[in-house]
Amino acid sequence: MKPFFPLCLVAVLTYGLTGCVAPKPFEPTPAPQPGDPTATSPTQSATPPEVAAPPEPLPPPKPRTLSPATKALVTQAQSQMAAGNDALAASTLERALRIEPNNPLIWIEMAKLRQEEGNAAQAENLAKKALAMSTGDPRAQANAWRVMADTYRARGRNPEARDADARAEALSNTSTPSPAPIP
Amino acid sequence: MARKFTLKKFLRYALIACGAVFLVFAGWVIYLDRVVTKQFEGRRWSLPAQVYAQPLELYAGQQLPADALEQELRRLGYQKSDTPTRPGSYRRRGLRIDFVAREFRFVDELRPAQAVSVLTGGAGIERMWDGKGSELPVFRLDPMVIGSIFPIHGEDRLIVAPDEVPAVLPAALKVVEDRKFDTHWGVNPWAIARAMWVNLRAGQIEQGGSTLTQQLVKSYFLDNRRTFGRKIEEAIMAVLLEVHFEKADLMNAYINEIHLGQEGNRAIHGFGLASQFYFGKPLDELELQEIATLVTIARGPSYYDPRRRADRVKARRNFVLDLLAQFDVISDADARSAKNKPLNIRSQSSFGSNYYPAFMDLVRRTLRRDYREEDLTESGLKIFSTLDPRVQSQAEQAITTELTALDKRTKRRDAQLEGVMVVTTPQNGETIAVVGGRRVSFDGYNRALDAKRSIGSLVKPIIFLAAMESGRYNSSTIVEDGPLEVKLENGTVWKPQNISKEFYGPVPLVRVLAQSLNLASARVGLDVGLPKVAKAFTQLGLEKEPPPYPSVLLGSLDIAPIEVAQMYNSLANGGFRTPLRAVRAVVDDKGAPLKSFQLEITPVADPVAVYQVNRMMQTVMENGSGRFVRSRMPKEMVVAGKTGTSSDYRDTWFAGFSGEHLAVVWVGYDDDKPTGLTGANGALAVWSRFFGSLETRPWSEPVPDGLVELTVDFASGEAAPVGCTPEVVMVAVPQGTQIAPHMACGTGFSDRMVDWLRGIIH
Repeated sequence: MKPFFPLCLVAVLTYGLTGCVAPKPFEPTPAPQPGDPTATSPTQSATPPEVAAPPEPLPPPKPRTLSPATKALVTQAQSQMAAGNDALAASTLERALRIEPNNPLIWIEMAKLRQEEGNAAQAENLAKKALAMSTGDPRAQANAWRVMADTYRARGRNPEARDADARAEALSNTSTPSPAPIP
Repeated sequence: MARKFTLKKFLRYALIACGAVFLVFAGWVIYLDRVVTKQFEGRRWSLPAQVYAQPLELYAGQQLPADALEQELRRLGYQKSDTPTRPGSYRRRGLRIDFVAREFRFVDELRPAQAVSVLTGGAGIERMWDGKGSELPVFRLDPMVIGSIFPIHGEDRLIVAPDEVPAVLPAALKVVEDRKFDTHWGVNPWAIARAMWVNLRAGQIEQGGSTLTQQLVKSYFLDNRRTFGRKIEEAIMAVLLEVHFEKADLMNAYINEIHLGQEGNRAIHGFGLASQFYFGKPLDELELQEIATLVTIARGPSYYDPRRRADRVKARRNFVLDLLAQFDVISDADARSAKNKPLNIRSQSSFGSNYYPAFMDLVRRTLRRDYREEDLTESGLKIFSTLDPRVQSQAEQAITTELTALDKRTKRRDAQLEGVMVVTTPQNGETIAVVGGRRVSFDGYNRALDAKRSIGSLVKPIIFLAAMESGRYNSSTIVEDGPLEVKLENGTVWKPQNISKEFYGPVPLVRVLAQSLNLASARVGLDVGLPKVAKAFTQLGLEKEPPPYPSVLLGSLDIAPIEVAQMYNSLANGGFRTPLRAVRAVVDDKGAPLKSFQLEITPVADPVAVYQVNRMMQTVMENGSGRFVRSRMPKEMVVAGKTGTSSDYRDTWFAGFSGEHLAVVWVGYDDDKPTGLTGANGALAVWSRFFGSLETRPWSEPVPDGLVELTVDFASGEAAPVGCTPEVVMVAVPQGTQIAPHMACGTGFSDRMVDWLRGIIH
């Protein structure tokens, strides 16, 4: 979202456009095809040359993917979890988090693990953390909400669970094309 | 008759006396026998817990150039070799490094020794593959041992099993110390006599008369007093040991028992630890001349101290090598080439319990909550800590260099400035470096944990967090920086002042924080309410809630640097609190996990409020009190932080973070006297040197839903595009916030701005 406003402001100043609708939160970028970590989001319209550039434009948020290193670790953690060894899975996921601490996908995995262990409260916190990092990435947001829904259901908080599921559903619809599964 | 009687009587008494002596002697021997068998049978050395640093993770894309990787391998004691086939060896060819990683039991797996090849590029690691050529996505190096938790009496050791001992070592010990070891019965009277003769002629100790068994007894069972009685006792116990135990067992015990060095109150015992202590690598990786050096040291660790008596040690080492060749333990050629090698003793500062005293102290305190002292000092636990040795040395470097420079700027000549740094990785709450003072390897007063000092303006972001959470303030809210008086309960009047003693009038919050204006922020704090501000401290992780006094608003609140780190960690972590950790896991001597300190997070503050505060702290670095150091850091490195100066310049603080690291720095005098420095020119100098040397990622959090970022005039807080006024800054404000446009920026602009804002509010 960061770059949209300054660019928008620039556009306002230059052309006197009246219909610049700022509150629209973000333009979801298409999710990359699985196995294509280099996919980038579409470029923005160029800044008119006569206007000073806004300070520190940050790159637009991209749908998160895992790097080969964290992907290997997350895969390993998933099989450790499948084998019932949650403690090992946790330590493997922590390794992944040290490599990519800002990747919501790893936080989502961590949340799923705690949920599996029966620690719904911690799972909820981790899902919230994942959500805080997924701004601009509806697919990650939807996944975080789904885990959140599970944690609520596990504690019998059904209305909240339904709400979380609805949010996940709405976000899934905005994300194009079909959401790829978390590796 | 009387004489006869007397003689008879005498003989009888003599017999009784002899019998009694014999009985006492026999009783004594039986007693010694019990001591020897009992203690030696269940021979359990007290094994101090070993503490490891965090292992370095290698992966493609990591910012680790070949030089840094090589340095890391050397730090772990890996040896350069043309054909790296042994674990612990490596080869460097330009940008490519091949090494054989040692076997290591991590908490989660036993990783066997493994060949790894790493290809680096300009930026860091490009590719990694194993010995069979298959791609390695991620690989962790064996972690460095950073110290051990040894008991008060100071014996530290690292047990080695017989298969971890190079064959040359026992052979060399026999040749040098006890050539009849394999055949004697514990004592060797002939050797004692010969040794006395040799030593008399040489005028110094060339040979000892004690067998290895006697030496073992002396070290294992007896104290250092040297009396004739002790000698007898030693001899008897040696014989008893030989009766009960195999030679191989005795040799192994000797190798693990013997005293081989001293470092402060830490006694280095056994060849396993000595190998690490002197050469920084495991015993089974030692080269011939290194083994000969240890055998030399075994003769007398203070007389043959290789760090202080290198020449003496080298001469004796070469003598040992000659002996080994003479007795066909090694070939003449091997002896010749080994004698030409340098001693290669690793400097004391790069290994030892005193190396990271402040961090080790934190580890000990963490573990004392769960373990008894004996568990830590005796049962051979392995402790996996969070210390990052590279970051730690950067932190130490920054402290020592900058404090030396700052000392020159202060007027005081009778005392030196002290400094502290605590570094964390905010997302997982790991404490990765702790410096407790400028004498970084001094194990004494740990200021990082114990120096509770006044935090000054570090309090402001916390006030502002409470203000944002109240919903009544945002970054562009205009506050009055003017005279302020509060009548206290005790009748006195609290009258805060700005550092400059001036008033700044109406100013936006973003500028209040950036320029650290006391009056405006105190006004905000009073308006929000002292209880709410006090609560914000505990929310962020301070254990004890500060008293609701107005003076707290100016930061007259004494907190230790580690506590500041805990609070700022929650800010850097986007409003999620994670208890700071220094230990990841504890395993027992067999490698079975005992305890893990898992990542735990709790949302403690509204992300929208935290983001605004963090964004303002970024402005501190761009336009405020932190801007002086901008030139020291790479341009693209976005950081956020806050200076702190306590009253009369007694304490100077800086707490700041990037996207991956948080560092809290305190600089001041131990006696609490004024420094004449502010946070900006004291602690910030240390902080910026540190961050300038750090491999880190810029601060960039996604803007939470509900906030927009826009530009305002720094001085007035009015909406202004970039370039319109001399200083324009970016702030994050809640969607729908109304900001009056700046007059100088043209009517057209302001009209459209208003329209636009209406659009937002609609």
